[in-house]
Amino acid sequence: MGRWVAARAAGALATLLLMSVVVFGLIGLMPGDPVDLMVAGDPNMTSADAARLRALYGLDRPLHERYLAWAGKALQGELGFSRSFGRPVLEILWPRLGNTLLLAGLAFAIAIVVALPLGMLAARRPGGRVDYLVNLACFAGVSAPPFWLALLMITLFAVALGWLPAGGMGDVPTQASWSDAALIRARHLALPVATLALVQIGHYTRFMRAAMIEALRQDFMRTARAKGVSEARAVWDHAFANALAPVLTVLALSFGGLFSGALITETMFAWPGTGKAIYQAILENDFNLALVGLLIATLATLLGNLLADLAQAWVDPRVSLTAGPGA
Amino acid sequence: MSRVLAVLVALILPFTLTTPARAKDELVVAMTQYPATWNPVIGSMLAKSLIQSMTRRPFTAWDADWKLRCHLCVEVPTLENGRARRVTLEGGKEGLEVDLEIQPAARWGDGVPVSVRDVAFTLEVGKHPLSGVASAEGYRRILAMKPHDDKRFTLTFDRVTFDYSNIDLQLLPAHIDKPVFDADPAEYRNRNRFDTDSTNPGLAHGPYRFVQVVPGSQIVLERNPTWWGPTPHFRRIVVRIVESTAALEANLLSGSVDYVLGELGLTLDQGLLFEKRHGQRFDVVHKPALIYEHIDVNLDNPLLADRRVRQALLMAIDREAISRTLFEGRQPVAHGGVSPLDPMFSPAARQYRHDPAEARRLLDAAGFSELRAGVRHNAKGDRFSIELTTTAGNRVREQVAQVLQSQWRQVGVELRIRAEPPRVFSQGLNRRAFSGLAMYAWVTRPQGVPRSTLHSGEIPSEANGWTGQNYPAYRNAEMDRVLDAMERELDEGRRRALFAEMQRLHAEDLPVLPLFFRVDSFVIPKKLKGVVPTGHVNGSTLSVENWRWVD
Amino acid sequence: MTASRPWRLVAARFGRHRLALASLGFLGVLVALSLAAPWIAEWRGVDPTATDLLRRFAAPSAEHWLGTDDLGRDLFQRLLEGGRVSLAVGLAGALLSSIAGALIGVVAGYRGGRLDEILMRLTDGMIALPLLPLLIVLAAIDWRKLGVPAEIAQSESFSLYTIVGIVALTGWTQVARLVRAETLSLKARDFARAARALGATPTHIMWRHILPNTAGALTVATTMSMGGLILFESTLSFLGLGIQPPSASWGNMLTGAQDLLHQAPGLAVWPGLLIFLTVIAFNFLGDGLQDALDPRSERR
Repeated sequence: MGRWVAARAAGALATLLLMSVVVFGLIGLMPGDPVDLMVAGDPNMTSADAARLRALYGLDRPLHERYLAWAGKALQGELGFSRSFGRPVLEILWPRLGNTLLLAGLAFAIAIVVALPLGMLAARRPGGRVDYLVNLACFAGVSAPPFWLALLMITLFAVALGWLPAGGMGDVPTQASWSDAALIRARHLALPVATLALVQIGHYTRFMRAAMIEALRQDFMRTARAKGVSEARAVWDHAFANALAPVLTVLALSFGGLFSGALITETMFAWPGTGKAIYQAILENDFNLALVGLLIATLATLLGNLLADLAQAWVDPRVSLTAGPGA
Repeated sequence: MSRVLAVLVALILPFTLTTPARAKDELVVAMTQYPATWNPVIGSMLAKSLIQSMTRRPFTAWDADWKLRCHLCVEVPTLENGRARRVTLEGGKEGLEVDLEIQPAARWGDGVPVSVRDVAFTLEVGKHPLSGVASAEGYRRILAMKPHDDKRFTLTFDRVTFDYSNIDLQLLPAHIDKPVFDADPAEYRNRNRFDTDSTNPGLAHGPYRFVQVVPGSQIVLERNPTWWGPTPHFRRIVVRIVESTAALEANLLSGSVDYVLGELGLTLDQGLLFEKRHGQRFDVVHKPALIYEHIDVNLDNPLLADRRVRQALLMAIDREAISRTLFEGRQPVAHGGVSPLDPMFSPAARQYRHDPAEARRLLDAAGFSELRAGVRHNAKGDRFSIELTTTAGNRVREQVAQVLQSQWRQVGVELRIRAEPPRVFSQGLNRRAFSGLAMYAWVTRPQGVPRSTLHSGEIPSEANGWTGQNYPAYRNAEMDRVLDAMERELDEGRRRALFAEMQRLHAEDLPVLPLFFRVDSFVIPKKLKGVVPTGHVNGSTLSVENWRWVD
Repeated sequence: MTASRPWRLVAARFGRHRLALASLGFLGVLVALSLAAPWIAEWRGVDPTATDLLRRFAAPSAEHWLGTDDLGRDLFQRLLEGGRVSLAVGLAGALLSSIAGALIGVVAGYRGGRLDEILMRLTDGMIALPLLPLLIVLAAIDWRKLGVPAEIAQSESFSLYTIVGIVALTGWTQVARLVRAETLSLKARDFARAARALGATPTHIMWRHILPNTAGALTVATTMSMGGLILFESTLSFLGLGIQPPSASWGNMLTGAQDLLHQAPGLAVWPGLLIFLTVIAFNFLGDGLQDALDPRSERR
């Protein structure tokens, strides 16, 4: 177990390091630099001003030197300043991380609650009518472009019906009661959560259905039935437990992806989360914010992978935690 | 799935309620941007200047009638009132001395008087190479500051310019920020108190001060007790940052935002829509701003070198129709860089109307008379096909570009459109890397001299380190002479004549094809009074103390 | 596996999958219409690039079947133009990613050992990346900084190629895993052993014996990935990082739609609907092909 943890941590560190190099390189290849944008926004700036600022921000040095300088400071815990907010990047990212967690977490929970029973329902009679309908719905959910789904939601619920806000987090007055505050948040969360959840429901239901069909075909089911165990118990005790292992893996793996995957949804609904912050940082040449944001998203995915392994070991005792490939 | 929907609907229904009414002395406004820094000296950004006009004031600023007014000073310095003088500097050059007096009652929010020490500190930061100040030119022009007492001082400028009266200096509080700056000037941009301790009362001397700042999402302001002017009507103003204009609109309609700052808020399309649909709740003011949409022409491109060709291109565009259909006639057609609202505007300069027949004739005359597959060619066989670069993501500009493409095709000119992300675009512009046309906007100032865009000494090149903004590479000795004279001419009548000459030359030569002046849409709730759109760089928040609810 | 299977059987199995059949029909019509777009434009007498400011947001009519967009261009014709681009990017991207994935998969599976481990780590590593933001960075990079001449880097076709390359990057991992698994099982089969015994080189065996036998699985994977890639292209174009206007793609036709929801909600519906239908059709098609080509999934 100890070796396993150590190997995983080492793997994660290596991934993060590699990631920081790759992202730093890619960002260096993006057109222009922060000073170009300043010049564009300030007609009074002269080229001498621009050159002075480039030197000040170290933008005139070669990319590898800049990376080493950044990495050196990062190791001391200084991740640098965001250009577009003028604050340390973590100060900007922390509250957004919370917002994303709220949005993505809710969508994730709803998706699981809907998808698992739906998948089991469909798996009970593969090829039957229920299965057919569920399958159709899943394909639809998986195939809809999230940004279009968001557009439709806004058109229908915000513009045409006027039931729900089109975006933002909503403003909670300081004197508002707890329930009022929750209501305001819930109203603003409804559409983005629904958008995010719909796509996931499609994916998860299909996984659940496939895993369940697989499990129901296994020998132990036949054995259980032969032993006279009731169908319901057989399904619950055996098939479900067996189907759960692969499904849990998929769920855990996808959770990490939610952080950056919510990018589109957050942008469409102006939800101040990490995905949107990363996207804007990329567009606005806010190098530090984009870099650290991407590293945090990577870390989240790595954590998801770790969870996936742990989940597998917990559900299926045959899997032992040994240092193997896939770290 | 239907069950899911039913649950969703059941969940949603109870949420359909309106937000509670707000206290009478509170206002919630919104805008689309959050500034990169709150420090008034480092960097310039519309979002910052709009909000800071609530918490601090420059010495002078243009008011809504385009007159220069004193805010932090006592009297606008002019040659006539003796507060400004021509002087001969060391080396024989001519310069200016300007006497200024700080409002006697001006105090920072913590009670410390605003004084010449703050002026000295501000100049020190502005001139320091490591302070991170974006545009240092204004500070460099100030050769010296001589204090007379705590409130009075004299500035010496290194040149004579007509706009000497406009002192838009923003002061830094020396008693708070000087220790930070002295400790490490290179770190000042990160450690200055405006960004690290934004709610420190000592940072404000205007009608309001910050009491809460949530980076990227909201700022809360309350009355500043040390403000010397009339007490503001609102006790508290909440500024919310909503980046999506669609969300902005929804918030305004639902009442969770009272007013969207017109300078940095709704698009013209949205403003027009509000006017139509919610005219009973909102007053909509479409105020032309000093944002000049135009097309730079690369005069080094042989296809565009002939003046007749440029005139033909302009005449082939139906700008009136574009304004009428895309902007419902609200966005005025520009005839040059000087706004018709500007006192220096000259109606005598040539104005071009849509005239495709004349455009065709001019193109024929310029040698592009042979039509092959609908595209003009000259005798040498050069095809009249040009490229227009513009900024991607600006929907209106992309729309206009596509209309131009279609209208120029009618006179046999082929246009290729390339939309570039703003950062690529500005980089390409700075290096004069555009091959034909470049469409973008200038933000100009009242009575501003367009020296950097029209003087032949301002053509960016490798040799001058890409300085200057004369991207078309316009060279006209007469124009140079007029521009030089305009800057130094202190007599208003003579300056007006020079401005008229400049506009006449520009309209004949057309190094830049003028398109429109952009319009800011102010959607103001009927009950909110005192918001006066200015149409120039000094926005409506400079009179925030007059904003109030009226039943 | 599939090499010996009679095609008639496959076709019959595929024919039972009604959704897949319908999808095939839909995609066939779509491809035909997109390819014929220039002639259709000529026949209808509309120019998809001609703006007409007097006819913005026109309602559907005999002249403009689906009405006009915010610049008075014919929406139907623009959709066909967009279809050309979106389908071409999806197709080219899927082919590219399948070729890359197949090569990596077969080499990893056949060679095994260290190379296999490295290649599979790489595939695993891809999954651990925040893909969407990374690809956004990738789509935004300035190729001139890598020494690509300005004329090439700024040309329209180059941006098309980079988008194809970028979407292909998202698709190859799944193909690689699939082909590797197939290769592992095929490697142990008699015909491969026989070939080895006869002294065939590994390249020969991989190329002539193993790859052809993964054709079925490869077809399924390519079809399945097509939908995802079209989705990806539309997302990038929607964000303004893919196909640039005035070239139409279904994604960039939606870019401005959010600001026009009040004036013309229809503009947000049609391009999205086409993306949706195309993606779902490719997914059904893939599903049908899988059922037809892969006996394990025969459960209907």
